Amino acid sequence: MTESLFAQFQRRLSALGGEVINVDDVAQAAELIAERARQGDGSVVVPPAPLTSNDLSPWQLVIPPLRDKGITIRESAGAASIADAPIGLSGAELAIAETGSVMLAENALEARVVSMLTLTHIVLIPESAIVPMLDDAGARLQALTRTGPGQRHYISFITGSSRTSDIERVLTIGVQGPKALCVIVVKG
Amino acid sequence: MNDRDLQNVIHHATTDSGETSGEQPFAARLEHALADEQMHAALERFAPAWRASRAAVFSAEEADYGPDYSFAVLRSQLRQAKDYAIAHQPELLAQFKAQAQAAGAIIFEARTVEEANEYIYRLCRDKGIDLVVKSKTMVSEETELNHYLEARGIKPVETDLGEWVAQLDHERPSHMVMPIIHKTRQQVGATLSQATGREISRDDIAEQVAVIRTEHRQSFLNAGMGISGANALIAESGTVMMVTNEGNGRMVTSLPRVHVVMAGYEKLIGTFAEAMTQLRLLARSATAQPITSYTTFITGPSAPNHEMHIVLLDNGRSEMRADPRFHEALRCIRCAACANICPPYQQVGGHAFGYIYSGAIGLVVTPFHHGIAAGAGPQSLCVSCNACETVCPVEIPLPSLILDVRRRTMDAKGLPWIKKLVFGTMARPRIFDLFARLASIGQIPLSRGSAYIRAHNFGLLNRLPIMSFLAQQAGWRSLPAFAARPLRDRVKTRAPGDDVEKPLTVAYFAGCMTDRLYPEMGEAVIKVLEACGIQVTYPQAQNCCGLIALNSGDRRDAAAMARQTVAMLERALQASGADYIVSATTSCVASITQDYLKLFEDLHQYDWLRRAQALAEKVIDFTHFMDKVLVDSIHPTTTIPLWNAAALSGAVVTYHDSCQSNNCLHLQPEARRIIQDTLGLELREMPQSDVCCGFGGSTSLEHPEVSRRLLDNKLANAASTGATLIVADNPGCLMHLRGGVDAQGKQVRVLHLAQLMAECLP
Repeated sequence: MTESLFAQFQRRLSALGGEVINVDDVAQAAELIAERARQGDGSVVVPPAPLTSNDLSPWQLVIPPLRDKGITIRESAGAASIADAPIGLSGAELAIAETGSVMLAENALEARVVSMLTLTHIVLIPESAIVPMLDDAGARLQALTRTGPGQRHYISFITGSSRTSDIERVLTIGVQGPKALCVIVVKG
Repeated sequence: MNDRDLQNVIHHATTDSGETSGEQPFAARLEHALADEQMHAALERFAPAWRASRAAVFSAEEADYGPDYSFAVLRSQLRQAKDYAIAHQPELLAQFKAQAQAAGAIIFEARTVEEANEYIYRLCRDKGIDLVVKSKTMVSEETELNHYLEARGIKPVETDLGEWVAQLDHERPSHMVMPIIHKTRQQVGATLSQATGREISRDDIAEQVAVIRTEHRQSFLNAGMGISGANALIAESGTVMMVTNEGNGRMVTSLPRVHVVMAGYEKLIGTFAEAMTQLRLLARSATAQPITSYTTFITGPSAPNHEMHIVLLDNGRSEMRADPRFHEALRCIRCAACANICPPYQQVGGHAFGYIYSGAIGLVVTPFHHGIAAGAGPQSLCVSCNACETVCPVEIPLPSLILDVRRRTMDAKGLPWIKKLVFGTMARPRIFDLFARLASIGQIPLSRGSAYIRAHNFGLLNRLPIMSFLAQQAGWRSLPAFAARPLRDRVKTRAPGDDVEKPLTVAYFAGCMTDRLYPEMGEAVIKVLEACGIQVTYPQAQNCCGLIALNSGDRRDAAAMARQTVAMLERALQASGADYIVSATTSCVASITQDYLKLFEDLHQYDWLRRAQALAEKVIDFTHFMDKVLVDSIHPTTTIPLWNAAALSGAVVTYHDSCQSNNCLHLQPEARRIIQDTLGLELREMPQSDVCCGFGGSTSLEHPEVSRRLLDNKLANAASTGATLIVADNPGCLMHLRGGVDAQGKQVRVLHLAQLMAECLP
């Protein structure tokens, strides 16, 4: 497989209707997200700030630039507080090239609802987060579910938006979950 | 006895009451299904689309990642993983429980549906919960949880779109994965309008889907309990894996304070690595998606003041596990591929082709979960085409398990008297011979000397009970007449050759259909073989291979015929020194080389098993054999005839892949090579060439409506090619096709491959 991991990931997720964009740096990501936010109500919902922030992920690094651009950042306080907000932004543990999935593993319910109840879910990840195969994701699942203080109780692969073909097998995108998924991949 | 009674007699044993509460009897469900034209149309559209999409989505994975990611390899891997889990269930269960409990989950093991329902009810009662949101779980259908809770004042709300609409209509889902495939948008719009009190579009599906977003939002936020299913229980970490598309599953399992998982023990799997293999297969097999939108892994309660309960259900699973054959069905991952590919399912849908679990797997597990009476009617719809086995992602031998269910059902209810009479006669070669000869005379008023018994020839005989039944049957496909001179009489006059060098010699096993109904096919087989320099002997003692009895659940008569056939063929091989036993009836070949082995093993007749295994090495079907002879010259004395298709100039051939040929003997390119390359004829592929023609042994008599629809599809598909010849290599199919062509007055010839070849001999 000579295709780069990013290219595979993009191909697989795009085929399922997900949007995948490559950017050079966080600044470019901020510009993209701000543009989307302005099309909505000028706000972006984010998970609450983690208690320990050693290495900041791109989704955290992008928040100050977004504020600078006049975007309102709302920290999720649970389902009722953010339901049907136009844009939700989060990071991901990793992305899987084989399936075009992103893996989210937040324990806090407030964080989880960002990817469940907003209308467009934007995921911001570094390119290094893309792993080749489901098997690699399986190894990470093993590590994340190990009994102990760091155990993640709720982990999801998200591959595209919510969908159904229950009525006459006609595909409708956007059912209970987000109607759109956009993954922004920052080089590096 | 009127003709309807006779119809019932044939499957009377299977349509008795004894079916449990809350469900119409099978006969009523079937009648309703056959009258439902929308559902029929929806299923007919779906089936070929799904087949094509499924093939494409598996090919794409193999194209990207190589042959190790082919369907064949993946399913073998998953089979091994599930086999291990079943064999080591106690250890894996202990590991799962320990891990899940360490993460804070509470495990409840329910032996019965009552225990499962009561446990969940008590949780609601003790915690003051009166509203429950549910995401898809077949186990809750199995236990009829919703009825149980509603009767006790608790409101369960299905939040999957399809399940919710079915719930609103007080119906069960008709398919494990596409619950309302039987409904039109008009019906859905009407249901939603009534439920919401608003006027919802009968036509705009997007608007209909949008309804569920608003209608359930408050329920998710207010419900005290969320109930979900599990696609896998991962032992190494105590994790519940769940695959969904709509997004409701994540809400049901996150928002309410109490989360209950319902799962059967068969969901246990050892490791994440194995679960990833399951993921590669599950969505592809179910909906032809590479993966669903959401795949969730839950390990213990996921918020500080939340609870997680995992209810594990037995309800017959340990009985399955202890069974030497049925434990294989515990590998099932509930993908519903076996429903999606099933030709009779396509005609009647899941309410008739099943009880709660539908599709081929439904026929297999229903006796264990809901009793033999509940499964008796549905199992009668299986035509034994073996398509299900070709797509099962865990290699469950569904066709043979369904026949085991059939046999157990017949043992419990008794075989219908007419089948006992027919099979008992066939198992006695001399009596069968006498009957066939008498019939060839007695039928004359009905056949009028032709090869067919046609409906319009019945005349006043129509008034008699059995006659009117036969007349009705003949109405949509003419029945075959017994040949005045069976094949066994025609071959008696052959003189053995006196070649110096011993030619390749075969013993020809014609099968009872060719012998009694289509001796001209047998003559063509012999002519073609001899034209290739092969010496053909005909063991006069041959009788029926017993397949028809076996497929009807009459193991006793089938075993008698199997033993006769094995002994007779052994003697024939010895007497003639034949190198092979050739049969041009692929169902007989599948029966002798595959079914006999299982039959003797099940009966613990190990000496016969050994003899059947040795014999199987020598038995080959005509198509494979001719391919070997013509393509790889297998013997120095065989010659290739100078084929001359002049007599067939302008003919266009289309080929029907009989179920046994395609699914059991893995024949597909061989016949096409012979027709196109060897004979030089024009071949046009018909759509769905490998879908059952509807004959299905006695199914065409028991369920004529289903059989007829499949036949009509097949003939329409054939006609769409403009072909003047339909060719196949199984007399059962040929009988069915010919009967339909004759009754419908179609201008197309239906030939055995051997007959086509014989017409091209110089």
